[in-house]
Amino acid sequence: MCVGLPAKVMTMKDGMAVVDASGAKREVSAELIENLEPGDYVMVHAGIAIAKITEEDEDEAEDLLEGLL
Amino acid sequence: MKEQLKKAKAIIEGYDGPAVRVMEVCGTHTHEIFHLGVRKILPPQVELISGPGCPVCVTPAGFIDEAIWLALEKNVTICTFGDLVRVPGSTRSLADARSLGGKIQMVYSPMDAFEYAKEHKDEQVVFLSVGFETTTPASCLSVKMAKEAGLTNYALLAANKTMPGAYEMLKDSADVFLYPGHVNAITGNALNRKLCEEGGISGIVTGFTASEILTAFAVLLKKFPEGKPFFVNAYPRVVTEEGSIPAQKLIKEWMEPCDSQWRGLGMIKNSGLRLRKEAQDFDARVKFSIPKMEGRTSPACRCGDVLQGKCRPTDCKVFGKGCTPLHPIGACMVSNEGACSAYYQYNSRGE
Amino acid sequence: MDNLKGKTVSLAHGAGGKQTSELIDQVFKAHFANPELTSDDAAVLKMKEGKIAFTTDGFIVSPSEFPGGNIGKLSICGTVNDLSCMGAKPLYLSCAFVIEEGFPMEKLEAIAAAMEKTANEAGVKIVAGDTKVAGKGQVDGVFITTTGIGEIQEGVETSGFMAKPGDAVIVSGDIGRHGCTILLAREDFGIDADVTSDCAPLWGTVQDILSVTKDVHVIRDATRGGVGTVLYEIAEQSKTGIRLNAEAIPVQDSVKGVCGMLGLEPLYLACEGRLVIFAPKENAEAIVAKLREGKYSSEAAIIGEVTEEMPGRVVVTTEIGAETLLPPPGGELLPRIC
Repeated sequence: MCVGLPAKVMTMKDGMAVVDASGAKREVSAELIENLEPGDYVMVHAGIAIAKITEEDEDEAEDLLEGLL
Repeated sequence: MKEQLKKAKAIIEGYDGPAVRVMEVCGTHTHEIFHLGVRKILPPQVELISGPGCPVCVTPAGFIDEAIWLALEKNVTICTFGDLVRVPGSTRSLADARSLGGKIQMVYSPMDAFEYAKEHKDEQVVFLSVGFETTTPASCLSVKMAKEAGLTNYALLAANKTMPGAYEMLKDSADVFLYPGHVNAITGNALNRKLCEEGGISGIVTGFTASEILTAFAVLLKKFPEGKPFFVNAYPRVVTEEGSIPAQKLIKEWMEPCDSQWRGLGMIKNSGLRLRKEAQDFDARVKFSIPKMEGRTSPACRCGDVLQGKCRPTDCKVFGKGCTPLHPIGACMVSNEGACSAYYQYNSRGE
Repeated sequence: MDNLKGKTVSLAHGAGGKQTSELIDQVFKAHFANPELTSDDAAVLKMKEGKIAFTTDGFIVSPSEFPGGNIGKLSICGTVNDLSCMGAKPLYLSCAFVIEEGFPMEKLEAIAAAMEKTANEAGVKIVAGDTKVAGKGQVDGVFITTTGIGEIQEGVETSGFMAKPGDAVIVSGDIGRHGCTILLAREDFGIDADVTSDCAPLWGTVQDILSVTKDVHVIRDATRGGVGTVLYEIAEQSKTGIRLNAEAIPVQDSVKGVCGMLGLEPLYLACEGRLVIFAPKENAEAIVAKLREGKYSSEAAIIGEVTEEMPGRVVVTTEIGAETLLPPPGGELLPRIC
């Protein structure tokens, strides 16, 4: 369920964000995230940004694994 | 291969602990696990069960019947995710209804359905609102926008579902649950922690990339032999403890819990969502007085047992014979995320 | 062609009288004129001795214009490429139009112009044609059927039955662009991406391959079912298995992005200018090197190999180094969202 795609916020206008996922651009609702700004990364699902993510975070899962070894 | 992947893979392949049943609750996990070939690297004592987290698979036949009735009897334009188009209703699918002249419009987002309604004021438009906690906010938002725009030609046919009831029902089906990262992005982790602390149910929240999925398996295979219930959030870049408060609020504002029929699982108390009374102008069932439709499914189909991990798709008599992705009998064969479809497509056609 | 501005095709244009002649003169003859295209009932052609390849294909596409081409270009490429894949030099084409009443003349002219340009590039002549006009709503804009004859080059024999274990599987470029372009051009999903159709006439590309070696077992153009469908067809025809390396399959980033958003598999998106080539492994590198010099094949790559195991199946080695089956071709491509 819930195909999600990380995408970068390009522009913001009236609560809507244009996001870019490796070249595919689409307008999505930014209603669920406060203070979203161009340059932020978000997880997009069915036309809505459901969560803000930071680029650096991608390594967090790796740290988790490191902690176990 | 990335270092991270190699490490995780080595842990998984080297697992020599006790037998463990893992249920991936989420259909997108099912799909990705097959797509990546994860099953091929799991040691034999790790059994993977595909759970009920594909909205298409648990949507009852009666829901499709309602949508077809709207399209063919009431000339309503149906907006839907592509996922639902081939799902069999009692006698036909939305694709069949389309070839009979029904107007079936595929959309990427409920907001697109709202936009369509705004641009086609002479048509009545209904969005087929399925999905779990992740998808529901978008549906609610489309209703909010329709209300603000004063639209009278837009409504939802809601079959939205929530996971807690299903977790309760499935708790004995597996030893460890792979929780759906994008649901938890909305709901947060409180329930999963409670299931662990009070119910002793282990689980791990994870994302959908190769690295995230393998890491989750590596972590759970390290933790499981310790013999203590555990909960791990392995998707911290998206999932926070409290989840998305604005999304939770939005859902509460427009929808309320109701009992819900799950295809294959039956009625689960308080596991569904319907539009609140105050929003019933946007409730297609109220607006069009849709007659009650029970919906019939083939008695030979064992989707229900598959969804509960009681049998594998290949144990079902019609699997791969009467029931294939091109001619599905049960919903699990329809969606790419359905356990049966994934088995059929990725598993050498039923070996 | 200013005299076409604002005009539309009417039923009278298809009635066979004066207006039909006008349409033919102003639009089709203006672009297709050549000595073999006469007003007689059939073209009279001279052929060399030897084998000919003969094929036909119908084209419907909505919208009829898209980034990278239009239905006219597509209708020439489709038939030219089918001939080329048999190792046949495309010589002659016929084209039959079914046009919807009310279709803008200027658009029709643009379609004919694209056909002329593409035919010239492919070195093929249009020697016969037909025009019918259908009532409003009976067809969607314009449908074109092209039929073609080509001359099979000596020493070349290709067929889907001929793939052999040990063959390398090559694609002549990045995949899925045509399908992705059409999906975006329909504007159903509000997605925007910088993707143009790969639609191209490929006789030159086939010549490049044959200039390296004539020992090529299969050449097939990946059209509406995409590369995945072609691979399954060949695996079944030749009773072999195919193993792909997921990471070697060239896909443009923006196509990946669109596929990610809509839950689609690039291997099943249509191409209109991509070849799938099966040739003995030892020649594969040389073929790819030659292809990479070509106008339409700069992204050519070896994507897999033919195996004895798992006949009829296509297996993918994934990014985690595990094997999985490529899902067999399904019906309509349905975006997966929820």
